[in-house]
Parts: sequence; structure tokens; C-alpha cells
Amino acid sequence: MKLFKKILVANRSEIAVRVIRACKELGIKTVAVYSDVERDSIHVRIADEAVCIGPANSSQSYLNIPGILSAAEITDSEAIHPGYGFLAENPHFAEACHTSGITFIGPSPENIRLGGEKAKARQMMKRKGIPIVPGSDGPISSEDSVLKVARRIGFPVILKASAGGGGKGMRIVNEEKDIEQAYYLAQSEALAAFGNGELYIEKYIPDMRHIEVQIMADNKGNVIHLGERDCSIQRRHQKLIEESPSPISTEKFRKKIGDLAIKAAKAMKYRNIGTMEFIVEPDENIYFMEINTRVQVEHSVTESVTGIDIIKEQIKLAAGLPLEYKQSNIRSSGHSIECRINAEDPERFIPSPGRITLFYQPGGPGVRVDTAAYCGWVVPPYYDSLIAKLIVHGKERGEAIMKMRRALDEFLIEGIKTTIPFHKKVLQHTDFEQGTFNTSFVEKITSGNAAGREAVPEV
Amino acid sequence: MEISDLKELIALLKDTDITELQVEKEGTMIKIRRHLGHPSLELMAQRPVLQERAKTVEEETQRLVTITSPIVGTFYRLPSPEALPFVDVGMRVTKGQVLCIIEAMKLMNEIESEVDGVVVKILVENGQSVEYGEPLFLIEQI
Repeated sequence: MKLFKKILVANRSEIAVRVIRACKELGIKTVAVYSDVERDSIHVRIADEAVCIGPANSSQSYLNIPGILSAAEITDSEAIHPGYGFLAENPHFAEACHTSGITFIGPSPENIRLGGEKAKARQMMKRKGIPIVPGSDGPISSEDSVLKVARRIGFPVILKASAGGGGKGMRIVNEEKDIEQAYYLAQSEALAAFGNGELYIEKYIPDMRHIEVQIMADNKGNVIHLGERDCSIQRRHQKLIEESPSPISTEKFRKKIGDLAIKAAKAMKYRNIGTMEFIVEPDENIYFMEINTRVQVEHSVTESVTGIDIIKEQIKLAAGLPLEYKQSNIRSSGHSIECRINAEDPERFIPSPGRITLFYQPGGPGVRVDTAAYCGWVVPPYYDSLIAKLIVHGKERGEAIMKMRRALDEFLIEGIKTTIPFHKKVLQHTDFEQGTFNTSFVEKITSGNAAGREAVPEV
Repeated sequence: MEISDLKELIALLKDTDITELQVEKEGTMIKIRRHLGHPSLELMAQRPVLQERAKTVEEETQRLVTITSPIVGTFYRLPSPEALPFVDVGMRVTKGQVLCIIEAMKLMNEIESEVDGVVVKILVENGQSVEYGEPLFLIEQI
């Protein structure tokens, strides 16, 4: 089985750069696509070919299926890598690629479809004996169902959009009288954001941890996992900091959650790479939450501790090659932490587009920066605000923390606001140092609620 | 109006984006028109909200309109391999008249002229791959 001759990268910014890097290392030619305001982007400059596919707004460019397929056609691209976001989890796009004779680098359309119907995915996992977060059996049909389920599992509960993500279409309900408003708000938000107002309910566990497992599967149904990532540092359900191993992980825990991830993957005949997301209670009960049927932003954390190039493996799997590794080959070494640097105000998290006038990225041993930003580049206002990923790797968590602190200190970006000051604050906090944080952590420190103190006074 | 007034007006315009300025004073009317020239690609990146680009000197003076590709695909001058091209240089065209076909994903998309005019230049070759925004035709508007 041969690898592809040419891959079109249907994305932009840091992930497009990441994919192009992997392709080049595999000797595969690359085609970048871009909107007409991104002509000067790094991914356009470093690709072998580039095609302008539309104007600035995403719907006419990075979400423009005919435009992207046409670009693949005129460049004779054999495969398309969708990155994350945009069309990565669009089953129609995956099918359209297939119909056009182009390989979609990712799981099957069926996998993607199930991943995008979260209520159904939960039901399926439950049937296969995988513990799920207590909640509704599939989607709820009315407001009355909310009360029924809440009485069964207890308040607080959270309403979630079945077709959703990114924190949209979600509402926490603390007591009965809040149900009506929450239901209608969540439903209309879901309808507006995803075109689908279907909701399901989960028990809301405020002090839970979000721990996910990276999986890889080949066409023969062999599945392995690459260990877990702890992504509990989130704001409004958007991840800000990720690390591996999880501070609560032990060999026993890792095996337990890893085996659950593999079981879930096999249950849905998963192909290519993906991530199984779990909620972990303080007493370490593990519940399946959802599947991410794509490469994730934080895949780099797993690469740091395992030494495996996940994108290269993904491309090989898409070309039909069998898995190169057995579970017994997978070793996690040391500790890795990643901070997502966004072009946002570090206190109010409001987007801060504009021209970057100084850009000095950290380096030195154990430091990796994945970015498409550079001095003089204009952060466009049309797309998401992630401009860089700062990943460190240390022998153990303490060293990784020290490394991240010093790397954040040397990451100099001027001209726009970034979340670097926020990350510095988190990295100094005792809860983070001690690994005793959960998904309520960001809210605690941003609202000034002193559940923990800063380990070192801020300068 | 004195020469010094004119000099002052011109100096005022220098650091602005203003392309045309009309001033009336004491019965005299002065109109100053500037051509800002074709913005560099860097400039386009600098102002991502700018949808229309400034016109070239050529375009301004000769009322030339550039027809650009609205899609990604393959440019064809002819409706079919044995037929005559849709248009030729020097031909008059009307607004809405088909100038060419751009084939994308096996679908033939007819590209129409946005103005009445005369075809001055054809900027791409038959069978060439084109991207969004690629200049295809220069039409002198009449």
C-alpha cells in the first residue's frame, strides 16, 4: 500500500501548518487552500501549491465544500486532510470526498455521524456496557422530560445540544423552577448554532475532571490507545490547558480508562484516529461523555509523552496501512503540559484581532510551539482566536510546570492582547501546582473566588 | 484661490485615502483627483474588512472593469471543444452575457459580464486552473 502523492489541507492556521509538516516528512506534496484575506498566511507560503477558494467569511471559504473539492480536483490531490473544526466533523463532506474519489483523512462518515449525534452515541455506549454520565436515555422530547430525568438522577443537571459542541446550547439547571427558561434558551441556541435543537440531559458534576483518551484504529479493526489527557482547565467548556498524564493517573487508572476507550471504539467500529472523552468523578468513577471524531488541538500533548507523530500515523492509516504499534509498544514518558494562546483579552477573553508587532516565541530544551503567527501578521477577525500552542515536556510534572512558567515568561507578543497573562496566573496557582483542580477551576480564579491561593505573588 | 491654497490642499490629501476632493471658494471651484494605485497584497492583508480594492490607474482612466472568477475550477473559453469562443478581444458584450465557462466538479458554470462594454484583454488561457478572485477579463465599460 502506498502513501498519497498529494494531500490538500482543508484548514488554516496552526493545524494546517501541522498537517503540512507531517506530509512533507512523509514525502507527500501539499496543497493549501485559503480565503482571499489569508494570502500572506504561513500555511500558504510553506505548501507546495495554494488555491484561493473564496472570500473571508468561513461559509464561503473554509466551509465551502464545492470550492474545496474543486481545488482538490484542479490540483490532482488524492486526499484531503480536514484538520479540526470547519469540515472535520461534517459527514456530508466526508461522503462528498468519497464520491469524488478523494480519500478523506479521518474516520468513516458513519463514525462522524454518530459522534455528531451525542444523545445517540450515549445510548449506544450504554447498550454496549460502557458507563455513561447518568442522564436521559437519548434525546429529550419536551420540557417535562427534564423534570422527570432530574427527579430520577438529582439536581443539578445540564442540558446539552445533541448536535453541539464548544459550549453552545448548554444550560445548567440547579432547581425545578429554572427548567423552563433553561430548556428554551438551550434549545434556541442549539437551533441557531447547529441547525438542530435536539437536547439531552446529563447529571451535572461541578467538581468533575475532563479526562480524554487518544485512540488509533486501522481498517482491520485493531485499536490502541495512547494514554489519557487531562483537560479540566476549561472556560465555558472551552479547553485552555491540557496535560498528560493526568495528575490523578496511575497505571491502574490508565489501564481502566484506556480499556474503556478501546471498548467504545470497537463498539462503533471506529477507524483512523479520534478521542474518547470521559468525565471522572472525585471518587474516580469514569463515565463516557462523547467521542471526538477528528484530530484534536491537544494531540500535541500526547505526541510529547509518547514520541509518536499522530498526524503521520493518521495519514498512514487513511492510506490503508495497518497500525504500526501494538498496545505493548506504547510508553508514556515524562509529563507534558500545553497552553492554548488565544488572541483575546486575558481577563475578559474578548477577541483581540489586529497586527502583531512583536513575536518572539520561547525555545530551549523541552519546549515546542505550534503556531502560524509571525511578526507583522494580521490576526483576522473572521476565525477562531487560537494563535499558538505552547507545549512543554519535562521528566515529571514539577519540571514541566517550571518549564511552562519560564516559557510563558519568554513568549513575547505585542500589538494584540493574548491570554498569556492568564496562563501565567494558572501556572502559579496552588491548585494547579498540586493537581487538585477540576472543571470549576477557571471560574474560581476568574471570579476571584479564593478556593486556592497563588503559590507565588504575581509580579 | 492662491497657489498656496492649492499647495495646502494637496498637502492635506497626501496622508489620507481620499481620491477626490472638490472645494468651492469665492466663486472658484477646484477639483483634485488622485489615483492611489493598485494596493499591494500586503495592504489587502492589512485591512481584512476591505472588500473592494482600489482601482488601477488603467481602470480609472479607461473605465476598465476586471471580471474575476467567483469559484475554483477550470477556465474554458469555448462552450464545447469544436465551437467558437464565447467572446474575443474587441468584441462588444452586454451585461449578463456569458463570457466563459468555469468547470468545477463536472458542473459547467457560466460566467457573465457585469457590465456593457468591449473585451479589451483575456487574462487566462483556455483550460487553465483558476482560483477564487482570479482575474479573467478586462472589459472597457461603455
